[in-house]
Amino acid sequence: MSEPAPPPSAAWYVYGVVSATTQPEGTGIGARPVELVPEGDVAALVSVVPADEFGEASLLERLNDRSWLERTAREHEDTLERALARTTVVPFRLCTVYESREHVVEFLSAHGPALAGLLQRLEGRIELGVKAYFAGAAAPEPDEPQSGREYLLRRQREREAAEEAARFKSEFAQASHEVLAAAAEEARANPPQPPELSGRADEMLLNGAYLVRRDDGRLAEAVAELESRFGPRGVTYELTGPWPPYNFVPPEVVGT
Amino acid sequence: MTQGDRLPDVRYRSGGPAQLADVLERVLDKGIVVAGDIRINLLDIELLTVRIRLLIASADKAKEMGIDWWEGDPFLKRGSGDGSALEGRLRRLEAAAGLDGEDERSER
Repeated sequence: MSEPAPPPSAAWYVYGVVSATTQPEGTGIGARPVELVPEGDVAALVSVVPADEFGEASLLERLNDRSWLERTAREHEDTLERALARTTVVPFRLCTVYESREHVVEFLSAHGPALAGLLQRLEGRIELGVKAYFAGAAAPEPDEPQSGREYLLRRQREREAAEEAARFKSEFAQASHEVLAAAAEEARANPPQPPELSGRADEMLLNGAYLVRRDDGRLAEAVAELESRFGPRGVTYELTGPWPPYNFVPPEVVGT
Repeated sequence: MTQGDRLPDVRYRSGGPAQLADVLERVLDKGIVVAGDIRINLLDIELLTVRIRLLIASADKAKEMGIDWWEGDPFLKRGSGDGSALEGRLRRLEAAAGLDGEDERSER
């Protein structure tokens, strides 16, 4: 397959920041090659995108187009993951777009020290995600109660079980986050995803992000430990990653 | 430099690519702005509005059950600021977009 022709009117899409010694690799959004825009010790990981597609007017429309959003988000993520496999990255969020290469250089030189400091802080680090799901209280007893008294007792048991489940829910997620945070350098607890987003019927009660050294296995061990502790009570854990450390880039560093 | 670093080969994802929700949650900021020369308020975008509404709905539901421990997380406090202002804004946006707001929050 031949490379797509450069767009008639170009804009520069920034995926993130890496060390200036990094070799660019592969393609990004719209299958256009990923390039490096260096300035001092740091470099922006960029690719050229069509200005009409990523201009203010049409971008609003595109971001509302679910298939465009999904494709672009995946291309953004894949580009950063490819870089992450080889070097330290300061990942940017979706759609950081500059009108010219010069503007990218201006951004880098304006934020150079902060970006270099962050690159150093994140050196050799990755983000891991841990989600915890709770299967809920036990199902109500199926057979018909034999008497009024049994009915009332049963109702009481159900009420007590529900209260116990609520108490457990409010405790296990925080306890889990604390155990995981102790195995990480930095930790963030994000709002749990509702079932519409998670795609799972079980209730998500922990949606954490953890910054770890890439060769450090302690977080995975902590997950295993939590699984043996809370698993019998209906909790399941899901470990995702390695992710570029999105959750550990302060918003003020990325040009907003 | 970092060229010698290698990721451990372990991929925690069970085969296949990451779930879209996990990717979107990370690559979309918490509803602030598209950066660089292009400035768009992401809250003006219907799809993201729906997503943020889902997140808020879920946080509300959890709070009803007394689960709100992540609210103390400074990272969540920073950023979009006052949650009730955000919610009011979402309601207005939904009304403007003709989305009929579901009733889960209509009592509030």
